[in-house]
Amino acid sequence: MGSITALGIVLLLLMIVVGGKQGITSFLSMVVNFGILFFSIVLIAFHMPPIIVTVVASVILLSITIFWSSASDNASTTAFQAACIILILLVAIIIPLEYWAQVGGFGLEDSEELEGLSIYVGIDFTKIAIATAILSSLGAIAEAAIAIASGLDEIITQHDKIRSEALFADGVFIGKQIIGTAVNTLFFGFFGSSMALFIWFYGLNYSFGEILNDKVFAAELIAIIISLIGVVLTIPITTWMMSLRLKKLQTKKESK
Amino acid sequence: MADMRNKLVSKMTWIQVLIVVGFCFLAAFLFNHNDALYSQPIFQVDQVTTGKTSKMTDEFQNVDHYHQQTLYGKITNGKYAGHKLVISNSYSDSHAMDHHYLKGQKLFITLHTSPKLHATVKDLKRDAPIAFLFALAISLLFVILKWKGVTVIASIVINTILFWIAIMIDHNNDGAAVILIFSILAVIFCFVTLLLVMGWRKKMLITLSAVLVATAATILITLLVFNVTHEKGVYYESMQYVTQLPKPLFIAEVLIGVLGAVMDEATDIIASLATLKAEKPELSHMQVFNSGRQIGKAIMGPLINVLFFIFMAETLPMTLLYLKNGNTWQYSFSMNMSLGMTSSLISGIGIVLTVILSSLFAGLWIKGDEH
Repeated sequence: MGSITALGIVLLLLMIVVGGKQGITSFLSMVVNFGILFFSIVLIAFHMPPIIVTVVASVILLSITIFWSSASDNASTTAFQAACIILILLVAIIIPLEYWAQVGGFGLEDSEELEGLSIYVGIDFTKIAIATAILSSLGAIAEAAIAIASGLDEIITQHDKIRSEALFADGVFIGKQIIGTAVNTLFFGFFGSSMALFIWFYGLNYSFGEILNDKVFAAELIAIIISLIGVVLTIPITTWMMSLRLKKLQTKKESK
Repeated sequence: MADMRNKLVSKMTWIQVLIVVGFCFLAAFLFNHNDALYSQPIFQVDQVTTGKTSKMTDEFQNVDHYHQQTLYGKITNGKYAGHKLVISNSYSDSHAMDHHYLKGQKLFITLHTSPKLHATVKDLKRDAPIAFLFALAISLLFVILKWKGVTVIASIVINTILFWIAIMIDHNNDGAAVILIFSILAVIFCFVTLLLVMGWRKKMLITLSAVLVATAATILITLLVFNVTHEKGVYYESMQYVTQLPKPLFIAEVLIGVLGAVMDEATDIIASLATLKAEKPELSHMQVFNSGRQIGKAIMGPLINVLFFIFMAETLPMTLLYLKNGNTWQYSFSMNMSLGMTSSLISGIGIVLTVILSSLFAGLWIKGDEH
């Protein structure tokens, strides 16, 4: 048995112990997400347009992550709508930025690994960098949107006559509570995944200017900051979607 | 009245949007004109002429085009500032290791003085877009979170400095004690972060112990599984940018990577349980434990996915390149994505263990009068 299978079994067992049926669903969502991710890469390798493939895959990935969580119907619908709007906004920021910074492809640090590989494969790696940045932000956006939407949903169930302005203040309040820890999740994730690169920079005495302009570093940094912007935008947008929904529900009630 | 307030609010928002956009462009402008701060020569492209294009096909029938271009411009810093130069460059459609330069861009170049002054392009100067993005993130944090934004930025800065110090210590030890160094760093990280979030009280100590025990248990389980399976399917040779022994480095990477998520979760669960116990002091240890499990069950799935996407997305370019180089799906996965998958699974184990341990510690140690 391979290590990945063994770790997978340990994780599945632990998830069942903690979450029962929900544990199995959470585990499956990760497995299916992996399948979709890999399938998207294969589609891109078959020369399907990378950005379109990524955006379509992202919507599916977001819907799986959000609807297979244990959030209530109302909360998960709102979270999904908000996450899609944020996805569109992020794509609008990422595309011009990646063309401006040209961080696509590989840096000098990758030379050793590229040995023996043909790098002239006819796929624009700037577009691949755009895809990478979008995909790495998905989990963070989904998590933040679920957290805020669930919090607001609970407030609405408890005070069903709450006004949408008051709801907005609550949304920002919940957002302030989750943002500190959500940012930690993101930054530690990135610290961990780019630790070897940092050790490389330090070991080879890169200057601050060299690090800042380095292609590989810039690509990683753009991905983190984009995710951070996504999480921050989640707060007003999820709250806004929830208050729109609330207004609709309340006018429906009044007309009855 | 409400109408007036709405108008005021929307006016405020438009002013804020203008300030944010202005701030971002100002940051980009300043960084675009900081050439004097660099010791490397910088070249500004004033004019570009495109040369001939040739088609090429590699052994895997991948078709690409190679383009020649000539860049006319001048050096903007150093002792050759103002010198006009002509540099030739070539690029492919895939831009994997080359760049298609455009008019107005600034580039780092290598100068050669013999027989006469000429140059080759090294790389694009890309600090202006980075500054633009930083400015955007910082101003959004301020606009949406007000003063809370300052604490968020402060905690990022403190953690980055601590991380950099650990990298320095690690390098000065030649990577000999990488796991030990980053374990100590992990303890400091947790202590500082939780102190910032919760303040010095019993709740913080319970969270700290849950985080530390969960992380330590995760690493032990990982090592145990690696031992039993003889690390089959774990390809350390596929780790990128490795300058020291790969296995301990991998463990340290996962340790730091999962820490944020574990802290996030433990804070969430223990804070909720403390509130619950304060409201209903009659709850037994077991009832508190079960409520913790209920909360944890809901957040663990999305949290695991956060790390999953961070670890997996960055493997995309190299996996794609492997696929285009005639490798099988399985080999491309093993050489590029398997380590990301392993990290995701280990993080998942850490996240689930945190649910159990936070609920357990909270059940055992939180008293009804604790707020």
